Amino acid sequence: MLAILQDIQEKEHYISVDVMRSVACYLDVPESRVYSVATFYKALSLVPLGKNVIKMCNGTACHIRGSPEVMKAFEKELGIKNGETTEDGMFTLQTVNCLGACALAPVVTVNGRVFGKVRVKDVPCIIQEVREDETE
Amino acid sequence: MTELIEITIDGRKVAVEKGTKILSAAKELGIEIPTLCHHEALPPDGNCRLCQVEVVERGKRKLAVSCMYPVRGPMEVFTNTERVMDARRSVIRLHLNRCPQATILQDLAREYGVEPLDERFVAEHDDLCIRCGRCVRACAALGNNCLGFAGRGWDRTIIPPFDEPPVGCLGCAACAEVCPTGAIKVREEGNIREIWGREFRLVRCTSCGEYFATKEQLEKVDSCGVEVSEICPHCRKRDEAKRMKIS
Repeated sequence: MLAILQDIQEKEHYISVDVMRSVACYLDVPESRVYSVATFYKALSLVPLGKNVIKMCNGTACHIRGSPEVMKAFEKELGIKNGETTEDGMFTLQTVNCLGACALAPVVTVNGRVFGKVRVKDVPCIIQEVREDETE
Repeated sequence: MTELIEITIDGRKVAVEKGTKILSAAKELGIEIPTLCHHEALPPDGNCRLCQVEVVERGKRKLAVSCMYPVRGPMEVFTNTERVMDARRSVIRLHLNRCPQATILQDLAREYGVEPLDERFVAEHDDLCIRCGRCVRACAALGNNCLGFAGRGWDRTIIPPFDEPPVGCLGCAACAEVCPTGAIKVREEGNIREIWGREFRLVRCTSCGEYFATKEQLEKVDSCGVEVSEICPHCRKRDEAKRMKIS
């Protein structure tokens, strides 16, 4: 079930109620079961996410190396808070607990692409880069 | 024939079938172990951790959740050592922190001498649900699997799927019946029963005229291929007793 939900998450950027109903029907399991799984995992979102998901690592190493400041810079740049999505549906900002690349702390990933040793002044460049990729 | 294993609980010997849970073995001896999430009619889930006991098995001494721990070989069990009492006290304290209003927890706290929580930590909410999952198991066993856990950690809750009034709910109220803290609210007025945000029409017993079940409940029984009688359990018992007397 998790594999199916992950695939849907990747394609649709979120898991809708209709989707959960279909999954339950397809797997012949109760809807309550699918709902439990979908709400349990942080990797699955029940609300639509933006096209580009920015994950700011807030693990111990990243935290010490200044991830809260970088996070603030992202929030300011995009005009949204942690966990929110921009109005144009372009960006979603999230914090995660560890991306497993502490040597590159503080780490940010955008759609799985890793940016290491991010400093506050790099933030506008990262967003610019993603925007440019989008227009290409 | 299944293998019988002799174990000792609080110094008393009992022979039980292999795989029996410690809790049932203790019950055979009349030794009481407090429980919250355990229900005789439902599969054990080991959620509330209140039934912890100390087990000495193969030279190791450890705490075990007695409702889930199977007897696999010779063992000695202690249900009232200081370590067990400590474990239970801390479990009660944790539950009480979540549900300070639950009378069953208040009683347990008094019985076990759990110090009242520091005012600063008493949450101001009327949450009565201890997340034991009895209702979830009851709905899986008797209803249509309409309840489940959602979320995780402190934010874990028990709600119908998608937090909407459950479509498949029979209104049987088994969930409310098994809830140890009375967290699930059922409202009954005249021939209407309201639960989980849905209203159900109640059916009268053809014998005594009391409302006793919902239409959906009887339909479910019917779909299981059992003959539906619109007689309440009370009257059915009485009729059965009469029949036995005559024969």
